[in-house]
Amino acid sequence: MTTDELEKLLAVQPVSLLHQLGRGRIPRHFRLGKRRLIEALLRSTATNRAGLESDLLALMKDGDQQQIRPQAQPRTEPASPRRQSVSGKPEPAEPATDLKAFLEGIGVPEPSPFVPDPWQEEALAHLAETDVIVSVPTGSGKTYVAVEATRRAIDAERTVIYTSPLKALSNTKFTEFSKLFGADRVGILTGDRRDNTHAPLLIMTTEILRNLLYDAAGGEIDVRLDTLGLVIMDESQYLADPERGVVWEETIIFCPTQARLLLLSASIGNPQDIAAWLTSIRPTPCHLVRHNRRTVPLRAGYLHPSGKLAPLFRSVGIPHGHASLHQESKRLFSQYEAETLQPRSR
Amino acid sequence: MPPSIHPVDLIAALRQHNLTPAIVFLTSRRACDDAMQAFERDQVALPPARRRNIAATLQELATQYPSIAEHPLVPIVERIGVAAHHAGHLPSWKIAIEELMRQGLLDAVFATTTLAAGVDFPARTVVITQSSVRKTRDFTDLTNSEVQQLAGRAGRRGKDLVGFAVVTPSPYIDLGVITKGLTGQPEPIDSQFSISYSMALNLLKAHPLGQIQSILARSFAQFQLNRRAETLESKLDTLHVQMEPYGPRVCTDWITQWQSFEQARKRKSQRVHPKRQEPPELTSRLHFLTPGRVVGLTRGRGIVLRQYRSRGQKSPMVTVVREAGAVTECPASTVTQVFDRMFDVQEAPAYPWCAPHSLDELTGHLSELPVRLPVLPILVQPEPEEREVALTLTDDFPCPTCSSRPACQKDHATALKLRQDVQRHQKMIHALRTGLWHRFQSRTDVLQQFGYLTPTCQLTADGEWARLIRMDHSLLITELIRAEAFTGVEPHVLAAIMSSISHDNDRPGSFPRMSPGLSTVMWQVRRLAESLAPHEDPPLLRADVAALTERWVSDPNLTWLGLCRTTTMAEGDIYRLLARTLEYLSQLHTLKGTHRGLADTADKAIKNLRRGVLEELP
Ligand SMILES: Nc1ncnc2c1ncn2[C@@H]1O[C@H](COP(=O)(O)OP(=O)(O)OP(=O)(O)O)[C@@H](O)[C@H]1O
Ligand SMILES: [Mg+2]
Repeated sequence: MTTDELEKLLAVQPVSLLHQLGRGRIPRHFRLGKRRLIEALLRSTATNRAGLESDLLALMKDGDQQQIRPQAQPRTEPASPRRQSVSGKPEPAEPATDLKAFLEGIGVPEPSPFVPDPWQEEALAHLAETDVIVSVPTGSGKTYVAVEATRRAIDAERTVIYTSPLKALSNTKFTEFSKLFGADRVGILTGDRRDNTHAPLLIMTTEILRNLLYDAAGGEIDVRLDTLGLVIMDESQYLADPERGVVWEETIIFCPTQARLLLLSASIGNPQDIAAWLTSIRPTPCHLVRHNRRTVPLRAGYLHPSGKLAPLFRSVGIPHGHASLHQESKRLFSQYEAETLQPRSR
Repeated sequence: MPPSIHPVDLIAALRQHNLTPAIVFLTSRRACDDAMQAFERDQVALPPARRRNIAATLQELATQYPSIAEHPLVPIVERIGVAAHHAGHLPSWKIAIEELMRQGLLDAVFATTTLAAGVDFPARTVVITQSSVRKTRDFTDLTNSEVQQLAGRAGRRGKDLVGFAVVTPSPYIDLGVITKGLTGQPEPIDSQFSISYSMALNLLKAHPLGQIQSILARSFAQFQLNRRAETLESKLDTLHVQMEPYGPRVCTDWITQWQSFEQARKRKSQRVHPKRQEPPELTSRLHFLTPGRVVGLTRGRGIVLRQYRSRGQKSPMVTVVREAGAVTECPASTVTQVFDRMFDVQEAPAYPWCAPHSLDELTGHLSELPVRLPVLPILVQPEPEEREVALTLTDDFPCPTCSSRPACQKDHATALKLRQDVQRHQKMIHALRTGLWHRFQSRTDVLQQFGYLTPTCQLTADGEWARLIRMDHSLLITELIRAEAFTGVEPHVLAAIMSSISHDNDRPGSFPRMSPGLSTVMWQVRRLAESLAPHEDPPLLRADVAALTERWVSDPNLTWLGLCRTTTMAEGDIYRLLARTLEYLSQLHTLKGTHRGLADTADKAIKNLRRGVLEELP
């Protein structure tokens, strides 16, 4: 995209989307009007347009999908009562939801055959060519990407290393992957134990991999790294951990160039920065897969100590950006404050 | 009305609205345990079929993890279908609860917010009762990412059509933090890169010194620093443009010349300042404590309004606006952190040193600042001696009669401020571009001083083995080895010392006493740790914690329950302590090529240590 094209595209976006782009890029973006916001965006990204472009496209896609969803899945998001009661008078704001609508639709979905999500396919397709970062909400199905990518690598006779931040998580994954791939094809390395280190899939904490890479660089190798085809780093938002984050950086810096990197992360604010960083140090440009949509829609409620439940927001789902509270939860909360702030009668 | 809902009522309300299974996040382990206790007196019990299912699942898990069978919480979990899950529990117990939850056999789990990311532990509903978490000492507000990580566990794919995040108030709640967290964007993450001694050794083992700077440049840290440098560079360009009208005049460096002239003129009437003796760290900071700068103070944050010197001692002071708009004066040395964040200030010549609307604005900014802010990298360099004004007589200056005098007089203030801005920007850019390299060099300086590196930064014989010690406090450990502190010690003493080095929690408790043999070695370790303090933060070196490990390793007949009975430490904490000790010992074991005896002792300690529950997991 040329700067002009980008500017035109930005100009037709809603202001709220521009503000989302402005986060982390422009100090006090919320003070700026649309025109100045676009100028500031272009200025602040003068040296790195790719990040802005990919974010813009991702946000535009998000917006589209949010618009289609209510029609596509009418059962999970019951229509708000407003649909039936549209009268001649235009209302300034949508009427607030009620508890009944809020609690409607709870249940178990019909079992359906497993169909990978488009973003899962996208990640796997790109992994054939480049490093990939996946930054999607909790519980979206990142493990599927890890498993499928592992399967493909093993089929191509490459070895795979899967790292997690915690020993407990390594253990769970060891059990899970042993069931999937067969116990003889999965090994685990911890600080004090090494089981089945010649298996094509090795599970370890990130610290252990970092140590392996240092040993390899220093000339002592005890796990074969030359056939390594894929390194999966789960929960890579740990990059920002005050004590341990440095280990993720070391591991990524020293990850063998012939191996692909797959970074799986919960939603973070700037995955495009990580992608740009990887692109700057790795042999192939890194592909970013990112979205903020929750697969299972989430609603927020307020429960008063008396057991009374109310929707937290005026809308059934959780709104984006600025939110106004439901009048009932507002009332309950001020009641709570009044009750608890009263001097103790003892 | 109680300040928060009773756990039994909470679960009843959730059941009533069909909102189970639920994860209830509570502020502390204690709160989770208390919640479980509250159910002891509750008469409600699960239908027999559910109870049998829970029992069967636990029994099956117990074949792999025997400690589950004897767990004291088993009966209540079976009876009411509610459990607690927190770091005070053994990993095997947590696995059991996770499995019960996955199978849909539990209605609720009380957990702390430390419930780790990635643990497959979803529910239909998540209950949030707090808006802040304890980090080291203080409580900090939950970030948007943290709120979303908690709420994100609600709504299981394939099992729920919709998930719920339910907020219930407690004295610990700020509703604003939670609604912002639910509706806002997750925060961008920042690099936390740091350079340890073992990193320096390992880098130098594999790469010549000449390549190190380019390797460090590949870090995410440098990537982000470069971006900040680029922003500053573009600001610097603007500053250079603004400087253009103030180029050379009759004298090339007229700004300095005029400044000296002014100083000389003032000094005629005033006493000469006493020579300031300030630590270089403080001096290099002063450049950045300019109006608008966000700083960290011992309590909270503030924005600098002006910098000045105190009347008597002439020590550097700053006036800052703090949260809630209070304007206070404090010594510049009390500034704990200088953040990479500036706001515009409309300065004013008298208290509060800025325009009233500016003060309001700054107070607003302060309250909106994110929890984490990038710190400004400041290179501490010996300052070039402040150019002493050699000429003290105004008559020696050409200025009074110079043709450019009116122009110089008029422009001096602006030009000087611009020039200082330019210099400050240049300093910041330099620090951003070279900071990592300087940090690396300060590590290698120490490693050379201790003899792990040659003067040309090659690994010495000691450096060759020391680089294999890759945990926290590596300098202390390698120095202990070199001081032969471990020669001939018993395996249990070695294990005890390693656990006191690894343990970094100061949660108090009661513990067994240590043996005289251990306390002698412990004393030596403490002394060495203190002497290394300028180079490496000393570990807590808790004797009580060491004694616990000593007990376990020295007495192979001691059972897990027996060990737990000797202390008030939670069994999950004991487990983690011993598991970490195992890792430290394993690293000592890798020194078998150079330190045969030590490696053998470590191996013996490992064998004694790894038994019972410590064998349950790889
Ligand atoms: N395409 C799909 N269709 C239906 N269900 C799916 C799909 N992909 C994944 N799942 C299911 O979603 C659930 C959550 O997946 P997973 O544990 O991989 O999430 P995650 O993204 O790793 O979350 P976390 O951030 O907690 O680690 C699993 O039960 C998985 O079987
Ligand atoms: Mg996962």
